[in-house]
Amino acid sequence: MPGQFPTPAMAEAPTATATGAAAPSRDDVRAELERILTDVVGDDLLLDGPLTDETSFDADLQLESIEFVALADQLLATYGEQVDFVGWMAGMQLDEIIGLTVGQVVDFVVSAVEG
Amino acid sequence: MPHVQANGLSFHVQVIRGDDASSPASSAASSAGPRPPVVMLHGLVIDNLSSWFYTLAHPLALTCDVHLYDLRGHGRTDQPPTGYGVDRQVDDLVALLDAWGLDEPVHLFGNSFGAVVALALANRHPERVASLFLVEAHFAVEGWAEHMAGSLALAAFGLDENTSQEWIENNADRKMSRLARRAERFLADTTLIQDLKEEQPIGWLPQISCPVRAMYGSESDILHLAEALETQIPGCELEIVPGTTHSLLTERSELVRERALEWMARQRAVATAGA
Repeated sequence: MPGQFPTPAMAEAPTATATGAAAPSRDDVRAELERILTDVVGDDLLLDGPLTDETSFDADLQLESIEFVALADQLLATYGEQVDFVGWMAGMQLDEIIGLTVGQVVDFVVSAVEG
Repeated sequence: MPHVQANGLSFHVQVIRGDDASSPASSAASSAGPRPPVVMLHGLVIDNLSSWFYTLAHPLALTCDVHLYDLRGHGRTDQPPTGYGVDRQVDDLVALLDAWGLDEPVHLFGNSFGAVVALALANRHPERVASLFLVEAHFAVEGWAEHMAGSLALAAFGLDENTSQEWIENNADRKMSRLARRAERFLADTTLIQDLKEEQPIGWLPQISCPVRAMYGSESDILHLAEALETQIPGCELEIVPGTTHSLLTERSELVRERALEWMARQRAVATAGA
């Protein structure tokens, strides 16, 4: 499929998230999400295994809703200037927010930063 | 998480302000005029600001400045041992409005017990309230204080039968067991039950002068309050949603969201016309 899907190739390109100079890769965003989760709920939650794209915040991680608010807070602090979180959240219904997975958040941040 | 010092406590707050441009309905109508301030008040004990955060806060934040906070004792706000009466919670709200610099009248959204505080502010400081949007509103009628205190006391001793059954089935569930433990501690460690027991029936509903929109579920255990609200508040717009319980906000969040957006569009139109 070379040439057909330029986006994944771009995502693998070297990035500089610390300076915000380039779009973060999926791995960068997932690592940041893992750091935030550990900060919000403690690392005992992650003992079951590494985060995958399928990990859901509610069913798998058993995040309390107020912890999800804290997570959103930190995501906003990290990526808020580049990413329209309010518009994204506004477009989802309650069951969609409850059903959110790590992969969906990562995809949203990566695609929003890439514009 | 952002906190604001008000009335001697540290309140967990969220101020959400979206961009008009990201609204799918963005048009001349939605981008006209200033962004009205909205403040949302949540329900008792197992509730916190997240129920608004998950449902109405973001859609409304596309055209309004939305302010959420955890009531005293709830969520990530301080939990003092005393001071859970309605008057004191109205003091909290006034102190927060001051801290946020909201001098103009605000649009209050109240869910369940949050409506008690919203209505009480509209009575005590009508000049600070532009409108009320109430979901499953509680307010003190004859016998209300005893009933509330009684059901919370029951909860303190292990919750009612159905709920505890459900929680036992979910005993491996981190989230539910933590919520239950925290609710138990809240009721045991504070004067919440005693304070609510001392609330007196209110007689001032007919004096509420701002626009009021109320929604109740047809299966709600407090449906009798819907009629009292409609008959006593002049011009109150009431809607009973069929087949829905007291958990209207989460059971029918899409419908409540629609109604809330319509309500705020109307309030903005009125404000623009009057300006």
